[in-house]
This record gives sequence, C-alpha cells and structure tokens, in this order.
Amino acid sequence: MAEPRLPTLRDLLARAHLRLILFAVLLATASLVLSGGLVIRTYAQRNLELVARTTAYTVEPAVVFEDREAIREGVISVAAGRGVERVEVRDAKGRLLSEWTNPHSGALASLSRAANRFFWPEPVISQIRRGSEQLAEVRIHGNSEGLLRYGLAGLIIALSCLGLTVLATRILARRLQSDVIAPLEHVAEVAHAVRQDRAFEKRVPSSGIAEIDQLGRDFNALLAELQGWHAGLTSENAELVRRASHDQLTGLGNRALFDAHLAEALAISHSSGVTFALLYLDIDRFKVINDEHGHEAGDAALIAVAELLRGAIRGVDRAYRLGGDEFAILLGSFAQADQVDGVVERIRAAMAQPYRLPDGFAVTSVLSVGVAFSGEAGETAEALLRRADAAMYADKQGHKGLTD
Amino acid sequence: MRRFSLLALPLLVATAPSAMAGHTLSLLAMADMPLGGSAAGDSRYAGAVARTVRAVIEYTRWPSPIDPVVLCIAGPAQHAAQLASLRLSDGRRVERRNVAASGAGIGGCHVLYLGQMPVGQQRALTGAVRGRGVLTIAEADPGNTSEAMFTLTYKPDSLSFRLNIDAVSRSGLKVDPRVLRVAQGGL
Repeated sequence: MAEPRLPTLRDLLARAHLRLILFAVLLATASLVLSGGLVIRTYAQRNLELVARTTAYTVEPAVVFEDREAIREGVISVAAGRGVERVEVRDAKGRLLSEWTNPHSGALASLSRAANRFFWPEPVISQIRRGSEQLAEVRIHGNSEGLLRYGLAGLIIALSCLGLTVLATRILARRLQSDVIAPLEHVAEVAHAVRQDRAFEKRVPSSGIAEIDQLGRDFNALLAELQGWHAGLTSENAELVRRASHDQLTGLGNRALFDAHLAEALAISHSSGVTFALLYLDIDRFKVINDEHGHEAGDAALIAVAELLRGAIRGVDRAYRLGGDEFAILLGSFAQADQVDGVVERIRAAMAQPYRLPDGFAVTSVLSVGVAFSGEAGETAEALLRRADAAMYADKQGHKGLTD
Repeated sequence: MRRFSLLALPLLVATAPSAMAGHTLSLLAMADMPLGGSAAGDSRYAGAVARTVRAVIEYTRWPSPIDPVVLCIAGPAQHAAQLASLRLSDGRRVERRNVAASGAGIGGCHVLYLGQMPVGQQRALTGAVRGRGVLTIAEADPGNTSEAMFTLTYKPDSLSFRLNIDAVSRSGLKVDPRVLRVAQGGL
C-alpha cells in the first residue's frame, strides 16, 4: 500500500485562495445580479405603467370614435416592443376592443413565458376616461426578456470571473511558494544537513518574513545549543576513552592498552618482518618504600619513575604501567640492537636522578630491565612477554648480588 | 380608405362617391363610426352622427370655456334628429338651435352644422364664421368643397368623417391632434 501523499503547503495555499476568491466572486455576483435585477424590475414596472398610460392616452379618441383599426394602430405604435408581453384594450363592459401579443422568437421564448408569470403575475391597468365617464381600460402584461437577458449576462460574467479566479489563484500560489516556501525550505535543508552530516555550524539565513525569521532564530539558537552539547559529549567521550586505556596514577598507557598495542605490533612484525623490542621493567625494592614510607610514598615513587621513563624514551617509543611496580616499553623502529641498549642505558641514567617523597626523603630507584626482540615466527604475545620477564628477572638477580 | 365593421348592418344603400381627386387646398382625414341602432323614423345615420358630433365637440377646444355649447343646425338637416339631447362627458350641455340657411342668426353659435344645401351656400356660411371660433360640420358635401372643418361621409355600415386641416387651422379653434391620428387613414 502506497502511503497517501501529504498535501504540500502550495496545495493548501492554492486551495485556500481558490475558496476565498470563489466565495468573493459568487457573493459579489449574486448581490450584484440580485440588486440589479430588483432595480431593473422596478424600472420595468414603471415602464409598463408609463406604456399603459401612454397607450390609454393615444387610443382614447379612437375609443371615443369606436375606430378599432385606429385603436390597433395606436397600441402597436406605443406599446409594441420589448418589455411588453401582451396588450389588451377592453371597453367599459369588458368587451375586447383590441389586443396585441408579443410574437416570441428564439430559444428564450418558453423560458420567457414561465418567467413572465413569475415576474408579472398581474397586468398593469390604465383607465381611459372622458370626464367622469369610464370608456375603456388598457391592460398590459409585462415581458421578462430583459430581466432574463440581465440574469444570463450576470451568469456569463460570473463564470468568466471564476475562470480568471482559477488562473489568478495559481499565479498567487506560485508567488507565495517563492516568498514563503523557499525560506521554509532553507530551514528544512539546514535541519537535514545537521541530522545527516552533523553540520552543527550551519545556520538558517534571514528570510524577510517575521514568523519564519522567528522560527529561523529559534532554530539557530537550538543549533547553537546542540553544537555546545555535541562538543561537550565529544570531549567527555575522549576523556572516557583515555581513562579506559591509561593508568590514572601515572598517566601512562595501562595493561589493556599495552595488550592491544603489543598484539598490533606483533601482527605488523609478522606480516612485514620488521623487528621490534619489548622492555619489561620493575622497581627494585619497591616493597621497602611502600612498607617504610607508606602507600603515598609508593604512589609518589611510581609517579616519579613514570615521569623519568617518559623523559628517557624516544618519541617513537611508548611506555605502559602494567600494574604494581611493573612497567613495559615498546620500542618502535630501530636500525640495530645497540640502539636498544642505548635506550636502556638512558633509562638507567635517568633513574640516577633522586626524587623527593612526600615525607621529605630524597631517594633514587633502580629498575630491573628485561629486553626481548620480536621476530620468532608464530611467537605469541605471552611467549614474548615471558622472555622479557625472564630477562628482567636475570637482571634483577644481578642487582641483588650488588646491593645485598 | 379603411373599412371597419362593428355591429354591421347589411344595407344596400350606396355611399356617395368620396371625391378626393381634384381638390388641392385641403388636407383630408377620415374616420369610421359604426352605425348603432336608430330610433324609429330617424335616419339610420342619426345615432352615429350624434356620437360623432359629440366626440368632435369634445376634442375641440374653444379659446375660452363655453357652457352650454350652442349647436346651430343650418338649413334642412337629414341626420340631425338625435342632436337635440347631447350631453358632453364633462357634464356640459349642448343646446340645439335651428338657423336659416341664409345665415341669419348664427351670431351666438359655437358649432355650425350644415344641412342639405348647395355648396355655394355652405361656402358662404363657412366663410362667414372663419376665424371666429366656430366649429363647422358639413352633413352633405361629397365634393369636399364646402370648406367645413369636418365633413360627414356615409358608408353602408358606418359613418365616416373627413378632417379639413386647412379649415381647422383657420378656424381659431384647437382640435386635439389625436383626432387627426384617428382619421389618419384619409390622409
């Protein structure tokens, strides 16, 4: 089932205009035809009375001389014509002296006869008197042909006006579309762009129509708020992502990030054959600091060591805190194995710098460092890590021999 | 000439020839008055003559109002039997007087009805009252030479009159022009 098409604003405007203009034209036509018809009816009535009086005056001597031919000629010369349907001259006893009936012709004839009975139900009568003597009377029946013609003309004019109305409505609707609908379409375009492309920086241009401008201003304000919210959400999201992958205490990458980066590096190494180095480190005698100076001191030591590590490694290397006092470093591209030794030496040198604990003691830490190179085919991350761990353990054993 | 019949009586009397030809001075008009019934002994035109004379008087205006209207019958009249009892529609009476064909005693007449007499005598009478406000009606003037304002003509079933416009315009009277229209067929 197709969804029923919604009417456009243009359709609605065109329909509203059409109804309005139709109503106006019909009202104007009806009132004009009605009032005009009444006026014409009044004048026609006066005309009939005048014709009756004139006929009576004209045929009076003919009636006196009892000359029927002269009566007939008098009637024809005065009364015959448009607006008169029938003329009768009757003497005082009611005998017909003369009559004349409008010879109808044309399509209007039968309609005219029906209309005559409606408009002129009674004849207009004029008496012929001579002194006090009642000689005869003239009876004139009205003809409604003129009224019908007027009504017909009114109808034709009304229909023509209606035709013009329909045309004018279409033109008006088209103009309204450019004036009203185009600005609305701008709003819709911006809304669409914002939804589709997250283009929160877009703004609705001014339209020049008060209501649509108001809408545009509110819409723009809403867009500005949305833009703010969007920016806030984006930064919060970034912060959350950073927190999920970084150690809160030291700001180094955490275990999860390390695992991900290690797997990534291994995959690249396996596919391209490029070797990378993994450094595994922990702080010697960290437990002593924790026990003798408290956890705060332990945290301070971790922060200080992390800071020193960060300063010692190159830009391409990445440092992680795996948990407790254990750190790891992934060394990026290097040309030779002694470059790795260089990095390790720099780390050991950096550790020589003393740092201050919260309780005021200045201490230095010694790191045990184990190095493992990637490159063995099919080696897993765990295996590589174990090798590095073993190397670190060996290093730590060496340190014990020195200090203890 | 128009013919019209109302209450037509099948009569055999031939009308006098209405001699229009040869007369150049006068404009003539004519109307038809159907004959009504007549009283026993009267001329069968008497009733129609009375009605025509009455109508002619009614449509004639004198310079000053007159009441009663003095109708003088000059000479022996054949159809004037019912002229004695005329009364106009506005209530004025018509007073009948007989005057001599010679013209003696026509001084107070408003209407002069010319009876059966020679044309020369008729012309003498119409000439005597010309311009003095007297309505002249000729009963017997088949040649239209009497110079009377109205001349009666007779048809089998109706009475007609001719109107001598020349005589009317010289009479000093006003005749309603609608009467001319009634009689226009004669023009």
